[in-house]
Amino acid sequence: MILHIIKRELFDHLNSLRFVLTTLILLVLMVTNAIVHLRTHPEKVLDYSEDVTRARDDLKSRTDLYTLARKGPGHLHKRPTSLSFIADGDDAYLPKRTSNEGSWSRSGFGGQVKSTWWLSYGSVNPDAKDLRPQATKIDWVFIITYLLSLIPLLFTYDSFSGERERGTLRLCLANPIPRSTLLIGKFLGTLITVLIPFCFAALLNLTVISTNSWTQLNAPDWGRLGVILLIAASYAGIFIGLGLMVSAGTREPQISLIVVLLIWITVVVFVPSTLGTLSTKWMPPIQTNDQFQTEKDLATKQNNTDYDERIKAVKEKKLAGAQSKLLQLSKKPQETLSPEEIKAAQEEYNSVWRIDGPEELQIKSDFINKDAEIRERFNRAYLDAQIAQIERVRAVTRFSPAAIVQYALESMAGTGFNRHLQFLDHVHRYTKQFRQFIVDTDRADNQSSHLIGIPEGMSKETLTIEAIPKFEDKITFKDTFNTASLDLLLLVLLVVVFFAGASLVFLRTEV
Amino acid sequence: MFRTLIRQEFLSLIMSARFFAAVLITLLLVVANAVVLIEDYERRLERYNHQENVQRQKAQEAKTYSSLKLYVERPPNPLGIFSAGLDKRLGGTLEIYHGAVPIISEASARRLDNPFLNLFSKLDLVFIFQVVLSLIALLFAYDAIAGERESGTLRLVISHPVRRGNILLAKYISAMLCLLLPVLMSLLMVTFLLSITGSIQLSGQDFLRIGGIVLTTSIYLSVFYLIGLLISTTTRRTATSLMLCMFVWVVLVLVYPNWSRFTINPVGDMKAEKTSATEHVNQIWEEVDREAERFIANSPLTGDPPWFNLSYHETGQRYDGRRRMLTSKVNSKSEHLVPQLTKYHETVETLRIRLAEQTALIRKQTLDKTNLREAQWHENLMKLSPAGLYTFASSAWTGTDLEGMLDYVESAQRYRRSIIDYLHEKNAFGSRQWFDISQDVVDWWDLPQFRFERADVSENAMRAGPELFLLLLINTILFTSAFLLFIKAEV
Repeated sequence: MILHIIKRELFDHLNSLRFVLTTLILLVLMVTNAIVHLRTHPEKVLDYSEDVTRARDDLKSRTDLYTLARKGPGHLHKRPTSLSFIADGDDAYLPKRTSNEGSWSRSGFGGQVKSTWWLSYGSVNPDAKDLRPQATKIDWVFIITYLLSLIPLLFTYDSFSGERERGTLRLCLANPIPRSTLLIGKFLGTLITVLIPFCFAALLNLTVISTNSWTQLNAPDWGRLGVILLIAASYAGIFIGLGLMVSAGTREPQISLIVVLLIWITVVVFVPSTLGTLSTKWMPPIQTNDQFQTEKDLATKQNNTDYDERIKAVKEKKLAGAQSKLLQLSKKPQETLSPEEIKAAQEEYNSVWRIDGPEELQIKSDFINKDAEIRERFNRAYLDAQIAQIERVRAVTRFSPAAIVQYALESMAGTGFNRHLQFLDHVHRYTKQFRQFIVDTDRADNQSSHLIGIPEGMSKETLTIEAIPKFEDKITFKDTFNTASLDLLLLVLLVVVFFAGASLVFLRTEV
Repeated sequence: MFRTLIRQEFLSLIMSARFFAAVLITLLLVVANAVVLIEDYERRLERYNHQENVQRQKAQEAKTYSSLKLYVERPPNPLGIFSAGLDKRLGGTLEIYHGAVPIISEASARRLDNPFLNLFSKLDLVFIFQVVLSLIALLFAYDAIAGERESGTLRLVISHPVRRGNILLAKYISAMLCLLLPVLMSLLMVTFLLSITGSIQLSGQDFLRIGGIVLTTSIYLSVFYLIGLLISTTTRRTATSLMLCMFVWVVLVLVYPNWSRFTINPVGDMKAEKTSATEHVNQIWEEVDREAERFIANSPLTGDPPWFNLSYHETGQRYDGRRRMLTSKVNSKSEHLVPQLTKYHETVETLRIRLAEQTALIRKQTLDKTNLREAQWHENLMKLSPAGLYTFASSAWTGTDLEGMLDYVESAQRYRRSIIDYLHEKNAFGSRQWFDISQDVVDWWDLPQFRFERADVSENAMRAGPELFLLLLINTILFTSAFLLFIKAEV
């Protein structure tokens, strides 16, 4: 029986004008998406590989351990994904690489010291110079969130209220069909109707895209695409449930249409951005950029003064020693002194400023490393505060299924905020590995005095590029699935909730 | 009879569920967004004031003429809450320096506290009207004729001695009244919210501009109502009419404005154009070095500038040549060189001003050919949809459009001229205070201050004119065709 109902619904829909219009618009959008992707993607891939090669060349020029430690591993670049046509993820607003805050050199009491590398994140504001009008990119996220919600609603808004008005609902229920079967039939029928043009358009899109050799879709990518299709289906399911619910609950199709459209416009068009920005109003504000900079400067300055004091103490002690030696010599009778002795003493006195003993080197090394550590700690803390704020905002916007789908799709496609977090994670892991590499290499050399960060204290052996650890920014299917799991779960829950709501309302209505 | 018709239509619309829903949803969205937008504006204003103070103080601190570092800031536009345009996005800090003419693509933005928040766009009020009310307009219209035809009331009305045109007109007028009500109500709410916070002072001109936005909104909504009416007259069934209306709406409002921006790339490769321009400009700047060398060769000065360990700060290799900020104490031993030095600086700096004008021409041409042309192209493409026309017309009213931004750059350029005049007047380039602080430090008490006045409201109206005209044209065409079709239609 249920098959019969599904079939009837399906034929009903497939013959309708809305089906034609739906197919048309989905096709146009999907083809545009594919063409735009083909035009822009090779550029991205090329840019990335150029950047990586340049970074690698920079690394090659750092042949000794000290230079490597001072200049660091260079920019670490985020790998572009071949599935960016699915979710653009506002990638323009996310940094594509780690930044370089620069280095400093300081000539003070203890002679010149140069900074060692620290990790900084950088930020991008692409809008600041873009004179073009603002627009949203047409990717699968756009197509799915806007159209796979509106289309199901347009298919379902009159499915009960319309039939009730025409009287066919009474007729249908006069047969020995349980109401729940009718509902399931309608639900599945509409779902299939919506998915047919979508899958067709998506397939066309994928065909166009895979004609080009720039976008190699491999097996995990197809796995991801499968999950993406499921996401699209469950998202459509949510709105079918909503449409059926409203339709069952209202008398006239006109009313249900208005209700459905207004819910749609609020939830899909406005909630993700309005609620997001509105929610920051009630959240504790994070430090302003100025505050952050001042605090960081304060901490590094404190470190500088500590260093000055320590190095001053040591130098003055040495100076006093050399001075007293000279004094002693001058007290001795002239004949007993050899010119070498005098010269040596004078040399010692003069060299206090020029030559650093092990103690000073230790202090310098400590200072430089602490400076890098402070800068990195502050950068990290600020980044973490920013991320925490965004996570809270994202949690609030998950009120809208459109936002949930957007996040889920971004995770699956490997773009957007979650992807950026993964990238940062890789960066942090690599930073640790890089530091460990420097310490280990230095330790392996017996002639080095193992003082990281200063030229005198580190191994002088030449490095080969192969030995330096390579930055890998690869994401596995497991990673993507893990980040998307919350959103996937929420989606499934929402489908169940809306379907249950629809059945509750339908079971209780009079026909 | 005509009046009865209007009254009847108006009452039936205003009592309907859709009107209620329209008002509810518009007000809800407007209030929610206005709260965010107003607070955002306050924050930007605060930052602007702070920044301006800092800049002013910094300018006063300069001890020599050459070390004057001037920046101007674009004040946030209070009408940005209605139509954000480019106001919030584009950087607003420009450096004022006699050796460089500021251009729009050089404006820099301050670093945000949380740059990731860019991921969540803030919507302005015009966007709400654009999306929500256009949909409502179509919902008012889709069954205006088709519905009455289906239910048979149309036949009844026509059997009375009424002209068909009047029926259409009555429907149109009453629907427009009903559409304007939520607009006016939300404006009322916004004014109320503004008066509570009190931070935004709107002038009389601003109210005229808001009036302009209301006018544009009503013309824009009328386009969508007429589209709906046209579809409604041509279709037999309301269901068909509805689907066609929804399709048109999705295409015109949601899809096309985004589609056109990313699908069509009118300018091609801008990189090459820009690099060649940079090379050209750098070539021109080389003349400064040549002139300096020539001067030194013919003078008792030896070696490279700056001389006698002048402490100086050099602002990198910039687009506009090198700039040296000098603060030095000339001692008695080199006192005899001072006349030569002042002469040197006067020669070089006046040349710099001349070259700056020269390079500005090239840079402006390049900008016109690249970024500006691209922006103009995309604007024009977007204007193929009424939604695009509406967006640009309203940002023209508020002064947040590209023209408004260019106004700001122009006034920054004027300010640069006035600074140069000021420096000339003080004979700054030819004085020892250009580089020397051993005798006197510069007193900046009469340094001209920067003020940016937004364009006059009549200017705004002129800029919104073409879009308004196009919208009106679309309206006329749509109304005439709806009228003709309705006259010929079978009932």
